[in-house]
Amino acid sequence: MPSLPSSVDLDECIARLYKKELLAESVIEAICAKTKELLMRESNVVHVQAPVTVVGDIHGQFYDLIEIFRIGGWCPDTNYLFLGDYVDRGMFSVETISLLVCLKLRYPDRIHLIRGNHESRGVTQSYGFYTECVRKYNSANIWHHFTDLFDYLTLSVVINNQIFCVHGGLSPSIHSIDQIKVIDRYREIPHEGPMADLVWSDPDPERDEFSLSPRGAGYTFGAQVVQKFLSVNNMVHILRAHQLCQEGYQTLFDDRLSTVWSAPNYCYRCGNMASVLEVDSNGGRFFNIFAAAPENDQVKDMQMPDKMNPGGEPGALPDYFL
Amino acid sequence: MSAPSIPNLLSLRGTGRGRGRGRGGGTPGGTSAATGSSHDSTIQGTDTDAALSRLSAVELGYLSDPFATLFTGGQPNQPHSALPPPRRLPIINRGTYTRTTGIDLLVDSFLSSTDASRTRQILSLGAGTDTRAFRLFSSPSSHTNISYHEIDFPSIIARKQHIIQTSPSTLSSFLYQKPNPSNPLNSPPHPTSSSFSFAFESDGPSRNNNNTLHLHPLDLRSFPECPLSRFDSLSSAHPTLIISECCLCYLAPATTTRILEHLGRLFPQSAMVIYEPILPHDPFGKMMVSNLAARGIVMPTLTEYPTQQSQEERLRAEGGFTEVRSKTIDRVWEDWVSPGEKERIDGLEGGLDEVEEWKLLAGHYLIAWGWRGSGMGKGLDIDVSRGDEGGDGDDTE
Ligand SMILES: C[S@@+](CC[C@H](N)C(=O)[O-])C[C@H]1O[C@@H](n2cnc3c(N)ncnc32)[C@H](O)[C@@H]1O
Repeated sequence: MPSLPSSVDLDECIARLYKKELLAESVIEAICAKTKELLMRESNVVHVQAPVTVVGDIHGQFYDLIEIFRIGGWCPDTNYLFLGDYVDRGMFSVETISLLVCLKLRYPDRIHLIRGNHESRGVTQSYGFYTECVRKYNSANIWHHFTDLFDYLTLSVVINNQIFCVHGGLSPSIHSIDQIKVIDRYREIPHEGPMADLVWSDPDPERDEFSLSPRGAGYTFGAQVVQKFLSVNNMVHILRAHQLCQEGYQTLFDDRLSTVWSAPNYCYRCGNMASVLEVDSNGGRFFNIFAAAPENDQVKDMQMPDKMNPGGEPGALPDYFL
Repeated sequence: MSAPSIPNLLSLRGTGRGRGRGRGGGTPGGTSAATGSSHDSTIQGTDTDAALSRLSAVELGYLSDPFATLFTGGQPNQPHSALPPPRRLPIINRGTYTRTTGIDLLVDSFLSSTDASRTRQILSLGAGTDTRAFRLFSSPSSHTNISYHEIDFPSIIARKQHIIQTSPSTLSSFLYQKPNPSNPLNSPPHPTSSSFSFAFESDGPSRNNNNTLHLHPLDLRSFPECPLSRFDSLSSAHPTLIISECCLCYLAPATTTRILEHLGRLFPQSAMVIYEPILPHDPFGKMMVSNLAARGIVMPTLTEYPTQQSQEERLRAEGGFTEVRSKTIDRVWEDWVSPGEKERIDGLEGGLDEVEEWKLLAGHYLIAWGWRGSGMGKGLDIDVSRGDEGGDGDDTE
């Protein structure tokens, strides 16, 4: 395993990324390799202590990620847990994942990154990350570096032995958290099975049990599934992301499960609010709600071809049915 | 982020300023077509957008349409020119599929509920480079006696006509140009006069299927000074299906009202299908309005007919259709796409991840249709014949 070359100054990389500058391909390669080593040592179920601020889907909305740090505190002053879906859809997936990976490498105990269903080779080819990598680096190399790294991201986190955190939800083949620990996670997300379910499933307040998901992967799960999982594992709450909420968050099943969504005005299209969830040292939960960062308006200007930007930025604005 | 306000066109109704954007260039009487040419080219550009969305859906296997490539290249004889066709997002592809198959279903219902041994007319407003006529004429169900009329801006019609005339075998195998003495073959169409007619025949045993396509260059804003009745090939005597697939939404409400009323008088036995965006006032709708405005696209009727209910009412009150139905695209997908077909579509791009976004997006577009006159109803009352309840304006937030 290569170690970080002395030429790579992580603090400088982070400073550049905060300014939304791209890192060189060789730097990304070295940082990904080093981060892999770090992530390899993490369990499939990482235990952390509150206080911690939990962040849902970001999807390449870089300006809104910076807004989160502005609102919730900068790393490492605030502890962060990100629930996955860093890339795809937004315009700045490369900048977003570069920054988060650098922060992870720099402050490994202060920031945790869970794998989402978009941290996958397959999904990123349909939803934009692949195209963005090729457009910004003229080759697919950094897409390979990042998607190889995604295979090492952990699948779940437990806060204060009380709150079970995952990107999507529960799986019919997982009753006890110990069953998660034995999953061989160092691979592309499979189409089915427990690993797929953890990143794809959704709660369904209308039902009690598991049923097939309209997403075509994972399951939906109801009240009884949630209660059983919590009592078997001695937990009080399930915290997950994965689903767009117009209000930025949603709490279900008598406060036994909540969804945190952190991409405001998702895809520059949905007009929704976003939130982060602050868990205090006693396990108290507080949703901090925010709207799209003002810098996003620049995205709109990019679409309009002008002298500065002939042709306009492709895909800067969402498509509609015309 | 707040949406820019749309000029209140209701207040302009009847004053003759039949334009969507406050340029003030309209002349009394509603013939303001000559002004605002940059806005016009933006609106005409929406045809390219629609054609590219169609191509994306075709190339990924959502739709089967051998004609989609004909109209998306720069050069008619090299459909795949320099730029690779864009790959749209899965929700956009699914939307293109749903809208196309939904309208196809209504077209088929119209055709099967009218007498196939006599002429049936289809009139497509703002048809752009849409391929429905070709798909219909080449379909295995070998429809007969269809007189298909397309209206669009002269520049769009001229391009389509040129592509058809110079197109490779895809079209020429079943299409020939009808002798049309009033339209000299090689002269460009004149904005107010020349229409082009093509006759089609299928490859099957019955070669004389008597299908024709007529292209009419016309700026729809010139109603009623340029009434449709001056197109000889259009006849009030035939049962007629009028289609507006994302076209009327670009016109001022006062203009669309005139068009609907005019069509109502012209075709006593007719049905109409419109596909339009709705719900501009919720958060998603506000973003839609402002994002489209950033691309220079304004949809004036959106605020005039903002809901499913108001769209239905419009067909009833302005179009004079006695029976009216509607479905959001979301419901069309749920209700009209068979489980097997849903499974096939879902499999094309590895499942649809963006379920919530799909519901939002597809809930902001609808297909509304209405009919009047004897013999038209049975086929088009699809809600009843398919046995579902049919939502009434209660979709989405
Ligand atoms: C979004 S495209 C839809 C094309 C086609 N109906 C389809 O669904 O693929 C809108 C079409 O309406 C046409 N259109 C808009 N305003 C028009 C007008 N005033 N007169 C004639 N056509 C018009 C445009 O030129 C364009 O082809």
